[in-house]
Amino acid sequence: MTLSPVNIILIGVFGLLGIGLYGLLTIRNLIKIVMVLQLLVKAAIIGLVLAGKVSGQIDLGQSTAATVLVADTMVAVVGLALAVQIRLRWGTLDITALSKLKG
Amino acid sequence: MVNPLILTTIFLPWLGAVAIWAIHDRNPRLQHALAVGFSLLAGLAALAILPFISSQETAVFSLTTQSASPSTWGSLTFVPDAMGVLLTVIATVIGSFAIIFSVEYMHGEAQLGRYYALILIFIGAMSGLALTGSLLFLFFFWEITALCSYALISFYNDDPKAVAGGIKALVITQLGGVGLLGGALVIAANLGSYDIPNFLANSQALSPALLAFVAFAFLIASAAKSAQVPFQTWLPDAMEAPTPVSALIHAATMVNAGIYLLFRFYPAFASVPGWKTAVVVVGLLTAFLAALMAAVAGDLKRVLAYSTVSQLGFMVYAIGVGGVFAAQFHLFSHAVFKALLFLAAGAVIHSVGTRQMDRMGGLGKEMPFVRNVFIIGALALAGIPILNGFWSKELVLESGLEGGPQWAYLFMLATAGITAFYSMRMVWMVFYGEPADPSRHVHDAKVAMRVALIPLAFGAFTTWLLAGPLSNASALSLPFHEIHAMSTLEFAIEILIAPSTWITVSIVAIGLLIYLLRGKLTWLSSRLAWLKFAAQNSFGFEKINQFIVAVIQRSASLLRKTQTGQLNWNLAALVGCLVIILMIVIWSV
Amino acid sequence: MNQPIYYLLLVIGSFFCAYRMMTSKNILSAALYLACVSAMTSAILYMLGATQVAVMELSVGAGLVTVLMVYAISVVGKDASDPAPIIPRGFAALLCLGTIGILLWACLPLIPVSGSRTAQPLIITLWQGRVLDVWIQVVLLFAGVMGILGLLAEQAIRKPDLNHTTQTGK
Repeated sequence: MTLSPVNIILIGVFGLLGIGLYGLLTIRNLIKIVMVLQLLVKAAIIGLVLAGKVSGQIDLGQSTAATVLVADTMVAVVGLALAVQIRLRWGTLDITALSKLKG
Repeated sequence: MVNPLILTTIFLPWLGAVAIWAIHDRNPRLQHALAVGFSLLAGLAALAILPFISSQETAVFSLTTQSASPSTWGSLTFVPDAMGVLLTVIATVIGSFAIIFSVEYMHGEAQLGRYYALILIFIGAMSGLALTGSLLFLFFFWEITALCSYALISFYNDDPKAVAGGIKALVITQLGGVGLLGGALVIAANLGSYDIPNFLANSQALSPALLAFVAFAFLIASAAKSAQVPFQTWLPDAMEAPTPVSALIHAATMVNAGIYLLFRFYPAFASVPGWKTAVVVVGLLTAFLAALMAAVAGDLKRVLAYSTVSQLGFMVYAIGVGGVFAAQFHLFSHAVFKALLFLAAGAVIHSVGTRQMDRMGGLGKEMPFVRNVFIIGALALAGIPILNGFWSKELVLESGLEGGPQWAYLFMLATAGITAFYSMRMVWMVFYGEPADPSRHVHDAKVAMRVALIPLAFGAFTTWLLAGPLSNASALSLPFHEIHAMSTLEFAIEILIAPSTWITVSIVAIGLLIYLLRGKLTWLSSRLAWLKFAAQNSFGFEKINQFIVAVIQRSASLLRKTQTGQLNWNLAALVGCLVIILMIVIWSV
Repeated sequence: MNQPIYYLLLVIGSFFCAYRMMTSKNILSAALYLACVSAMTSAILYMLGATQVAVMELSVGAGLVTVLMVYAISVVGKDASDPAPIIPRGFAALLCLGTIGILLWACLPLIPVSGSRTAQPLIITLWQGRVLDVWIQVVLLFAGVMGILGLLAEQAIRKPDLNHTTQTGK
């Protein structure tokens, strides 16, 4: 297996994915979780463009990546706004404590 | 010509259900009238199918597209053969009697719309079940009858016992329904269609292992639906239902669906090794144990429920030894006399207000009409000559002597004796002896009840005369079952000259005498006290039920701990499943 | 520019920044590490040939999202809540390594299809080939903005309460 650029980027995509999943499993701060989601999305974008290049359809790869970028930015923005509101209302950003809230 | 009639028997009751539900409970008289009207019309339509009995399949509604390949659901076909039309006639005609009876029984009760609608939906579904030629639609109608049964058992939904009984019936019969669905899917996957005549013709096309699987799956489904051992615990608890419901659903109709299933698929499964023996054992155990339980029960409807289970055991035994016509004939007689017994018991319970027999007693003087019809039914149940129960039970035992193992025949003979014993006990405790409460005020049955009871009592005397036409129709329209057609006279002579008949009659007489002379036989009852104790605790089957329920509840509360509600754990489960799915995908590609 | 060494550097750099982002105690520095990851992602995209998306990624990821994060952190306060995870770290690492391992084992080595067409400008692809996507994005943006306005409006009213925050249902 040669270390061609494409292979390296593939390792990069899966590596970022793995780090992001590890973060989702271990992090308890809500804002940090939003950041980790952003990280996963970056991995996805690189993966999409890479797939476009490898299969020869660069246009498709780019346009899908642009779509995903916009959508997930919206996710991050709304997630941050929610995190702010939660902090103001309940005073904590720990998702373990937030799971136990009633009402 | 037969298509509109078939559709009428199914959809007219459903239309009636919608109509009754739509007019709400503001107008109970209209509800009673509509219910009676719709069910009578359905009964007439079912009787009108009788001249058209044939083995020809009539496709009514086909979901196939332009291409020739069959669609996923198959077509809704109907086969108006003798067994199907018999069950349809029983369902609709006895259904109309039960509804006529309900006019008086449910007078002044609340929520009549729900009651009548459910009964009518049930009647339509039962007709569909009996007449359909497609396995998938058989399952569909089977499930509708289970739903209506559950809803009607829990009709008095303020009573926790009724609700518990309904849920128990639903769970046990639905577990059996899984067997039916599994078998149907295996058949469809291997033969390419859900068609029943097609399966009966090509049953050898399935590999022996698959055929055995389907045979035993169908046996489980019918044992659960017909309350055979080990699934018999739901029927006695289902007696919380209003009595006309018990008469229709749990005596004459729905429990016959299991027998119908075994009957219809008998030609395909008879060659499976061990199947017939299993059926004989199931029928035998059920008949014997249920008869013992009936002999010690104190609740009138429970005695009748156990008696139903026992008589169904007779029918299952008959199928197991190869006497399929005997089973069919006994099903017919049993439907008539059991409905008669239940409705008469309903009249008694409605009047006295309790179901416990030790609080009745001496009612014969005050309710002569009910006493007379009840005695007719009890004599038919016991198998006294001339009444229809005698002829059909003799036919069952005779085919058992010819086709089955000898030890099984001896047990069934003993069961016939016990049947006579508890029938006599039932009649005596309710109608004779000293009244438990001399100050009570009871009235005899009024018009609506009498109108329902008289035809049934008449039938108990006369339906055996239809044995000849029934066997003719069966031989004609059921080509795979190899039924030997004889006229009624030939049947009668054959039964009367067979030695087994007279053995049975003497055993029945012994059973009756044992009850009448019970004062002098106290030494026997004290020796059999252990048996009485076991029978009163339903031979441990209730304990098994409770154990299963407890195990399920405990494992459910253990599994509850995996639902932590924490995001991290949910995501860990997600990632874990992702790993598993990836492994599956990669290893299969 | 197409030599493997540059790609290797970018990938390893993004791994490092991602890891630092997750394990830093200060949320603000985590946000800045995220911006670094965005920048490196943008560089990778550029070297893969998707120039327009690289520019979009840089401006959105390293610009917009980072600014929003910093704003949110300023409102929330730099409470150093970084509790220990409830799942054992080794188990989580095992799961993630398992996923990556299986994926890498299945997908490597990648062989690009030769003879690709020349790329159209992105704008033509989007507005002609994927018009539906674009309109869905417009609706999404609109909805997102409305949502933010709604959420932040309430925050604007409640902001003076920060000193006397009632802690209900902790």
